[in-house]
Amino acid sequence: MSSTDIIADPADMAAGSDPDRTGRLKAARSLGFAILGMALLLAAWWVGGYAVQNNPATTAFADFAPEPALTRLGEMLSSGEAMQMTVPSLQRVLQGMVIAIAIGVPVGILVGRFQVLREVTNIPFQFLRMISPLSWMPIAVMAFATWDGAIVFLIAVAAVWPILFSTAAGLRRVDPSWFKVARNLGARPWHMLFVIILPAISQDILTGIRLALGVAWIVLVPAEYLGVTSGLGYSINDARDTLEYDRLAATVVIIGVIGFLLDFACQQAISKLSWHRED
Amino acid sequence: MKGAHLAVEKICHTYRRGRQQALSDIDLEVKPGEALALVGRSGCGKSTLLHIMSGLLAPTSGKVFIDGARVEAPSPRWVVMFQQPSLYPWMTVAQNVALGLRFTGRANEIASRVPEMLKLVELSDYANRNVQDLSGGQQQRVALARSLAPSPEILFLDEPFSALDAFTRGSLQRDVRRIAKDLGITLVLVTHDLPEAVTMVERAVVLAANPGRISEIVPIDLENRDDLRTPEYAKARSRLAAAYENAAGRGLRPTAEPAPTLRSIGDRQTQTSAVPAAR
Repeated sequence: MSSTDIIADPADMAAGSDPDRTGRLKAARSLGFAILGMALLLAAWWVGGYAVQNNPATTAFADFAPEPALTRLGEMLSSGEAMQMTVPSLQRVLQGMVIAIAIGVPVGILVGRFQVLREVTNIPFQFLRMISPLSWMPIAVMAFATWDGAIVFLIAVAAVWPILFSTAAGLRRVDPSWFKVARNLGARPWHMLFVIILPAISQDILTGIRLALGVAWIVLVPAEYLGVTSGLGYSINDARDTLEYDRLAATVVIIGVIGFLLDFACQQAISKLSWHRED
Repeated sequence: MKGAHLAVEKICHTYRRGRQQALSDIDLEVKPGEALALVGRSGCGKSTLLHIMSGLLAPTSGKVFIDGARVEAPSPRWVVMFQQPSLYPWMTVAQNVALGLRFTGRANEIASRVPEMLKLVELSDYANRNVQDLSGGQQQRVALARSLAPSPEILFLDEPFSALDAFTRGSLQRDVRRIAKDLGITLVLVTHDLPEAVTMVERAVVLAANPGRISEIVPIDLENRDDLRTPEYAKARSRLAAAYENAAGRGLRPTAEPAPTLRSIGDRQTQTSAVPAAR
């Protein structure tokens, strides 16, 4: 028994045996902690900004501080600039993710289902996975006619591995008797895929997509340093070149908020679609 | 529904990675509507034989015929129930039961057949419940309904009750026997539980191990299978136990007294008369 098993949750103790009240107390406590965490982050940012501003060597970067950055963020939101820089980035991530899912899920299913394929692909896939997606930049630039094509390729290369490995690992964990029963009941290959395999590993696929989306979002900014004249990465680069550090910091905030929202949406999808019981 | 004729001819089997032959020269015939058990100690190959009979496993040599047609693959005409119910947890009870019909292109029968099957296993009120909400015994009843829905001619049971508590097990044994009799289905049961074999079948094939082979075929001719305290029941059980021990190579002296069951223990505690035993 772990220590968490024997230490009672304060929310449970406070609510007694009323499960609704316990749930509300837990939610309130989570929200309180989240607000505290954000307040600490903001405080750290403010302290950092204050230190930068009061240091003669770094005073030129004072616009990184919360006040100028958040003021600029408000302006960017009201002028539509924030939306203008975000939409192309989201489009590129969406395209890259669609390609990664279209490749990662089927290949993951094949790798998870067939041991020979798993053994053949194991080393090559591990080798390719460990290469930073940005290493493919020069090749992508040569291989694709447009900058957009190269960026989407880099995002897909980064996102495909979490989806592929999560799908394959999910399939390997599937109860073999599910396949045996389905075969016995007359399942054809497409039944096996759509009625048994995909629902059985849906949570693993979604978890892979969630991880991939995180990686894709991280790769997006450096990938958008490539040639394009739109997107969040371009905006960061442009703000640096024009010494608009308040715009740069505001863009960083936008990147963080959108990344958080994308992850939150994935989490919600996982909890809605999951058939796993927590208890 | 009607039962099918099953014939097993010269079945031998060696697992690909095994040095020891699992089955050797098995010849067997099961009449339509007959209930037959394969009994023997662990490792005697009874489950392997059942898998071969059902087409889930190809034998190294020998043939299996069902109604004169060679068995080379599983089919919804002969269905296996396993030790674990192996229900699909992302489906409701009704969806699980409907699977065989869905897989075999008989979706138009689902609306009438599924409620009929659920009524048969006394789970009519559970149609829209998730299978994860059910107890082990209820899950096994759903598995039984799922197996019966495609109107199989043979029901293969691979120790399907061994994970259940004694009361649930007894109730399911009686229900399966009743349903199989009423519908005229041929029943092949794998078990190492001798009372279960005596309760459920008319003939028990006792297998010896290393390699798995038929040691003896014991007829179990009982008028009343529900009363475990009759001298006839004790005699049948004793005879089967002797054949079992003989096949296991222990050569223990047969005893006419039935092994204590929860019911007989209860009776001993509440009654002064001894449990009748054939001597």
